[in-house]
Amino acid sequence: MLTRGLAIYITQRLVLIVFTVFAVSSVVFLAIHQLPGDALFNEHLHGNEYQQKLHYYGLDRPLYQQYLSFLGNLFFRGDLGESLVLKGVKIMPVVLREFQVSSEVGFVALLFTVGLGMIFGVVAAMRQNTWIDYVLSTTSVIGYSMPNFVIAAFLILLFGFWLANATGGAFYYQLGWTGRYGTIGEIWLPAFALGFPYASIVARLTRASMLEVIRQDYVRTARAKGLREQVIIIRHALRNALIPVITILAPLVIGILTGGVVIEYKFGIPGLGKEFVQSILNKDYNIVIGVFTAYAALIGLANLLVDVAYAFIDPRIRY
Amino acid sequence: MATASAVIQQEVIRPQASLWSDAWRRLRRNRLALVGTIYLSFLVVVAIISVFWTPYRWEEVGVAVPYSGPSHANLLGADNLGRDILSRLMAGAQVSLIVGIGTQIVVLAVGVPIGLAAGYFRGWLDSVVSLLISIFYGIPDLLVALILVFLLGPSLTNIILAIALTRWMDMARLVRGQTLALREREFVEAGRAAGAKPAKILFGHILPNALGPIIVQATFGIPSAILFEAFLSFLGLGVPPPRPSWGSMAADGIAAYQIAPHFVLAPAIALSLTLMAFNFLGDGLRDALDPRLKR
Repeated sequence: MLTRGLAIYITQRLVLIVFTVFAVSSVVFLAIHQLPGDALFNEHLHGNEYQQKLHYYGLDRPLYQQYLSFLGNLFFRGDLGESLVLKGVKIMPVVLREFQVSSEVGFVALLFTVGLGMIFGVVAAMRQNTWIDYVLSTTSVIGYSMPNFVIAAFLILLFGFWLANATGGAFYYQLGWTGRYGTIGEIWLPAFALGFPYASIVARLTRASMLEVIRQDYVRTARAKGLREQVIIIRHALRNALIPVITILAPLVIGILTGGVVIEYKFGIPGLGKEFVQSILNKDYNIVIGVFTAYAALIGLANLLVDVAYAFIDPRIRY
Repeated sequence: MATASAVIQQEVIRPQASLWSDAWRRLRRNRLALVGTIYLSFLVVVAIISVFWTPYRWEEVGVAVPYSGPSHANLLGADNLGRDILSRLMAGAQVSLIVGIGTQIVVLAVGVPIGLAAGYFRGWLDSVVSLLISIFYGIPDLLVALILVFLLGPSLTNIILAIALTRWMDMARLVRGQTLALREREFVEAGRAAGAKPAKILFGHILPNALGPIIVQATFGIPSAILFEAFLSFLGLGVPPPRPSWGSMAADGIAAYQIAPHFVLAPAIALSLTLMAFNFLGDGLRDALDPRLKR
């Protein structure tokens, strides 16, 4: 399937991602250096110490020099500098590790989104205007009306507290994250909280397009041929019904990745989102710049993957 | 016989209905949209009342035992500083409504003229606008707004501007598309032939005909802006304390979910109901204003 056209397309997109990362990091770098005050002010340093620290981080140089060395370090040495709060801590390795964690959680959330959304949508369409349809449709309106941090709050309350009390501690969700990759037991709940609102959107779309497709002639033909209902739905109807759903995947992926900011923060997951919030609150500007740069790259790459996936799912799309 | 046919005629021929009265009739028939509208009217009234009166002053600390549950004196209980949650919930409605509606006003003010101009004049202007729109779609809106509020300082105005800056292109894209379609219609051509200036054609002929989708889009924009504000406040970067916002109340509440579940549930439920009501209203408006879906 990897045609020459696709290869060229991917290369173009990768170049574009590099430019986006460049633009985003430049804007954030320049904007943040306009701010009065910095993390160093928090430490109540005396005159000379403060100057020494400024010099250590290169913050006493003219802005254009700082900017050029920032770009040089980023693009030629893959270096994002050091944390302003934790002296000597290099940002790049930290951000790379968090990049992995965030993409992991985002991927599982996307599975929830697409999986649950498709199942809900197909079932609601198959049972149109029955109580099942009404229950699923209402659930999906509730789903996309609930902010993901509210869903997170409910889920933490439910699984971390009420359920534990009701079962005497037999079922208990422990907040937090162990090890580098976490465990399935730790990932599923935050991923569900992250994916559920978007699953509602997918369910609505799937239901609507299923209802359209199911009335088409070729589906009637498939029925007349005597195919089993499951085969008709999965092989014939769903495949075409999914095309409109695929077109909203790109904004969904952006939504899931940025929605991760609050979910990671609340569930104590050491990903980009948690770091982003914490570094902003700490005024650790070097990390803010680094995390923002990583987010730009992550979103660019995720969108590229989605666009390449289109070509595999919908043969009409060619690059 | 003559009277009988007159009766039949009376029953069959409805009075001529304009698009708007027709839409209003259809909206009223949609039960969910009606419930949403009633809830939102109630919310607006509550928000206005809360400017003048709340059961307790919303900033007053220690009117009840901190974290105490719902009681006769404090219908929804008290928060971490012993403030009355009901009073704060009422005042928080102000913030949500101001941000939601304020953002949409800015989005309309920016997006509609840009979309109209790009769609009508086309050429290089359209290319520039389209490029801008696609760039803005590619950036993570939540993070940009976060950074903006952080840079500009957290205030109601800055929050509204930051959200509007990341959402204006929804409206611009819609209006541009509508304008592109409408500019080819006969009545626009007739206006041009009669010598109407572009401004007259755009605001007198094209805009009124694109108003339906614009209203629907603006209605859906309100809950997303409210969500945005709640999200910023939840992270402690929204409306500065002690002013209550449902987002910051939920954030304080979630920290104490084990000892005082009512503290997080109250703002969370208020927020969800409001977003749901706006979404129902938006769904209803879309069905009511889109003649193609006429039943």
